[in-house]
Amino acid sequence: MTKKSLTIGLLFVFLTTVFLGFGLSAAEKDVYKVGVDANFPPWTWVEKGEYKGFDVDVIKAIADVEGLDIEIIDMPWSTIVSALGQGKIDILVSGLSITCERDKIIDYSKPYWSVNQAILVSKDSDMNAITAMSMGHKVGAQSGTTGYMWVEDHLIASGVDVTLKPYEDYIMAVDDMTAGRLDTVLADTTTAKNFVKKGRDVKIIGTVATGEQYAYAVTKGDPYNLLSKINEGMEKIFESGRWMEIFQEYLAEYGYAPPAKIPLTRELTCE
Amino acid sequence: MEIWKVLGAESPYLFAGLLITIELLAGLLTIGFIGGLILAVAEVYGGKLLSTLTAGIQRALRAIPALVLLFLSYYALNLPPLFTAIIALGLRSSAYQSQIFRGSIQAIKSGQLLAARSMGMSKLQGIWYVVLPQAIRLAIGPWSNEYASETKDTSLAYVIGVVEIMRRSRYIISYTYGNALLIYGIVALVYLIITRAGNAILYWLESKLWVPGFEKRG
Repeated sequence: MTKKSLTIGLLFVFLTTVFLGFGLSAAEKDVYKVGVDANFPPWTWVEKGEYKGFDVDVIKAIADVEGLDIEIIDMPWSTIVSALGQGKIDILVSGLSITCERDKIIDYSKPYWSVNQAILVSKDSDMNAITAMSMGHKVGAQSGTTGYMWVEDHLIASGVDVTLKPYEDYIMAVDDMTAGRLDTVLADTTTAKNFVKKGRDVKIIGTVATGEQYAYAVTKGDPYNLLSKINEGMEKIFESGRWMEIFQEYLAEYGYAPPAKIPLTRELTCE
Repeated sequence: MEIWKVLGAESPYLFAGLLITIELLAGLLTIGFIGGLILAVAEVYGGKLLSTLTAGIQRALRAIPALVLLFLSYYALNLPPLFTAIIALGLRSSAYQSQIFRGSIQAIKSGQLLAARSMGMSKLQGIWYVVLPQAIRLAIGPWSNEYASETKDTSLAYVIGVVEIMRRSRYIISYTYGNALLIYGIVALVYLIITRAGNAILYWLESKLWVPGFEKRG
């Protein structure tokens, strides 16, 4: 009895997997899974059980004009890009920068936002933008982000004397810095401005002009033909004025000038 | 203070996260209990082939870190995150529980099974009606330890997208841009309460269901 039930149990798990696997390989889906990392205001976050943020509202508006049914799913940043690469989610919207490394495992929509990396230090620090990222100082960034990669590729690779510390999110990095365990945090300009605005004891002493662009992304090969719909949807909601409304709600307070046209033209070319 | 207001408004959602944590815990302990009993019986009574096989499964599951098992299951199975976590952590728990049950089965004198057989019971009947009712009661003490450690391990499930209390609390830290110490402190307290409450029930059961002839706690 014991042997049999174990075998049947394993068989059941196996068959369920196979059948569900087949179910998902159809060319169209009833509901598309939109993955967000809900720890990234003002782009994506959860407040009182509700998904909020610029990217959340934009993808909802796009789904609306394109007639797509979407379901928003929260995934930690450390898992989210590979989850999209494996097709566990269909669309990723979470202030995601275009990089050539990610380009290998996911496909991007047209970009909708440009950012640079801001250099954050403690309020009472007397470092400048150069010393903050040299002279043996400890620089922190969220792991897997473009800020982290920039320090790796441009400072450490060329022998600049810094120690790079990875963090699971920016809050922990900033907490560590205000506790004196870290000298500098490198973060997307919008994120950095938010820390200053929320009254944390930090200041921005400069920016690294990485010229990154945010875009939405889908699984490699775009199995459900979503990219054209996302690009077209972005254009439509920009023309209808909905995009500007969402911009006003989430981003205008940072003092950004609204872009003349959405979507933007992609700057980065990868082989 | 601003943050207490936020916490007040968020408390129903933290509670919803707590319910997911409890669902996950109940699910994984159930799989672990059933799987653990099967593995233990097979290991003790299964003959050479079966006991080698089950010992192998059990050792492999205990050797893989919970986080790795979670990721493996997430990418291998096409199930909702909560079910995936229940299966992954449940299988791992069955390996640990099998060792608890193996110990308590072996604490029952083998003469009891012989006596059951001599009364006309089959081997399985003897195990089911004579050995297991005692062995399970003996296992409650060590099982409470497994309960406590699995309670804490549920906090890993957020990595594959299970929105339990850990993840919910992280949301608040994110959009208030801080307060990590306070919020994780509250979460720690919640885990302490679940662990202590569960163990109190288990200790009560242990003394209530004590097998006469065996030693008692304290």
